[in-house]
Amino acid sequence: MTLRHPQHHPSDETLLRFVSGSLPAAAALVVSVHRDGCPICRETIGHFEATGGALLDAVEPAALSDSALDDVLARLDEVEPAPSLQPAQAYREPFAPGLPLPSALRHCEIGNWQRVTPSLRIRRIRVPDAPEERLLLMHIGAGRRMPEHGHTGTEFTHVLSGRFYDHLGRYGPGDLEEADADIEHQPIVEPDEDCYCLAAVDGRMRLKSRIGRMVQPLFGF
Amino acid sequence: MSTMAMGDDPLQPEQQRHLVEAIAERSDREAFAALFRHFAPRLKTFFIRTGMRANHAEELAQETMLKVWRKAASFDAGKAGVSTWIYTIARNLRIDQLRREPPVALPDEDPSDIAELPLSAEDILLAAEREQLVRTALQSLPSEQADVVRLSYFSDKPHSEIAAELGIPIGTVKSRLRYAVTRLRSSLDKPQ
Repeated sequence: MTLRHPQHHPSDETLLRFVSGSLPAAAALVVSVHRDGCPICRETIGHFEATGGALLDAVEPAALSDSALDDVLARLDEVEPAPSLQPAQAYREPFAPGLPLPSALRHCEIGNWQRVTPSLRIRRIRVPDAPEERLLLMHIGAGRRMPEHGHTGTEFTHVLSGRFYDHLGRYGPGDLEEADADIEHQPIVEPDEDCYCLAAVDGRMRLKSRIGRMVQPLFGF
Repeated sequence: MSTMAMGDDPLQPEQQRHLVEAIAERSDREAFAALFRHFAPRLKTFFIRTGMRANHAEELAQETMLKVWRKAASFDAGKAGVSTWIYTIARNLRIDQLRREPPVALPDEDPSDIAELPLSAEDILLAAEREQLVRTALQSLPSEQADVVRLSYFSDKPHSEIAAELGIPIGTVKSRLRYAVTRLRSSLDKPQ
C-alpha cells in the first residue's frame, strides 16, 4: 500500500505494557497491527522482550515438587492439542475498500458497517478473548471531522489509509496516535482522501458536545 | 531425581542455546532436562510474582517447558536469546490464562520473519550481545527504578496500584519507568 515508514508510534510505556502482556486486548491488537508495519517498533519490542528474558533469567528460582521434571518428561511425546482459535469466517465483503484484513485481526469477527453520523461509519470488531472490549474500524469521509472528544483512558488510533490531523499532529498510513486521558481532540481528515483507521480505547470515551453525547451509545465506548 | 535447581550453577546464555539446538536437532531429552532444571524454577517464581498460587505457577512453568520442547525447532538464535524466547512463551501462556483463550495479539512469529534466511554467526553474536547489554543495563539501574521495571513486567497491576504498593505518587511511577526505559534504550542503541 505504501512504502512510507510510520512517523508516529506507541509510547515506550505502551510498548512495555504490550510486551509484558498487561495492555488490554483491544489496544494490544491495534499495537499489533502497527507493529506488523513498523520496523522501529519491532526493534523496540525486541529490546523490551530481551529485558523480560534477562529478568526471568535473574529471578530467584522457586523449589519445584520432586516429580515436576518427570511429569513433564512423561508428557513429551503427547500430541499437541490443536489451537482452539481458528481464523474467523471468510468475509464476503472486503475489510475496507482496497484494504486487506490485517493479519493480527484474523481471529476477530467483524460486524457490518453502521452509520454513526453523516461523515462517520464504523464496523465493530469483536476481540475473541475479550468480547467486552471495544475495537472499531472507522471510516471518516475526506475533509470531515470527528466529534470533539476526550477519554477516560488512553485512545489508540492506527491509520490504515488516508490521513487526519488534530492539535497533536498529522497522521498517515501506518501511524499510531496515542491520546492520553487528559487530551481532548477533534481529528479532521485531510480533504483529498477518505480515512480508514482502527481505534481502541483503554477506558471510556467522553464526547464533548450534546450531539456527541447522543452518538456515544452508538460508538459503544 | 531432584528437580531443585538451587545450588546448581546457572546456565550461561550460550549453554542455553546449545541445549535448545540439541532439542531441535535430535529431540535430546537430557538437554531438555538440563534446560528444565534451570528455567522451570525461575518460571515458577515469575508466575508467582504475577499473582498466581504456587501450585498453579508450577503447572504453568511445566506447560511453558512443554511448549519449549514442542517449539524448539522454531527458536531463532539470530532474533533473541533463549531466556527471551522462553519469556515470550511464558508471557503468552499467562495471557491465555487471563483470557482463557489462545493469544491473538502476540503471535510467536512475526509475519515478516516467514522468509527465513540462513542464520549467520554474526546474527547470533548480535542477538547475544544485545541480551548481554540488557543484562548490564538492568544491573546498573538505581534500585528504585529497577523495582518499577520489575513490577511492570511481573504484574498486571496498573501504575496506580504499583504506586500504592511502593507508597509513591503515580507520577513518580511513570517518571521512574520512563527514566529506566530511556536508560535501557540508550544502552542498547549505543554500539559498545
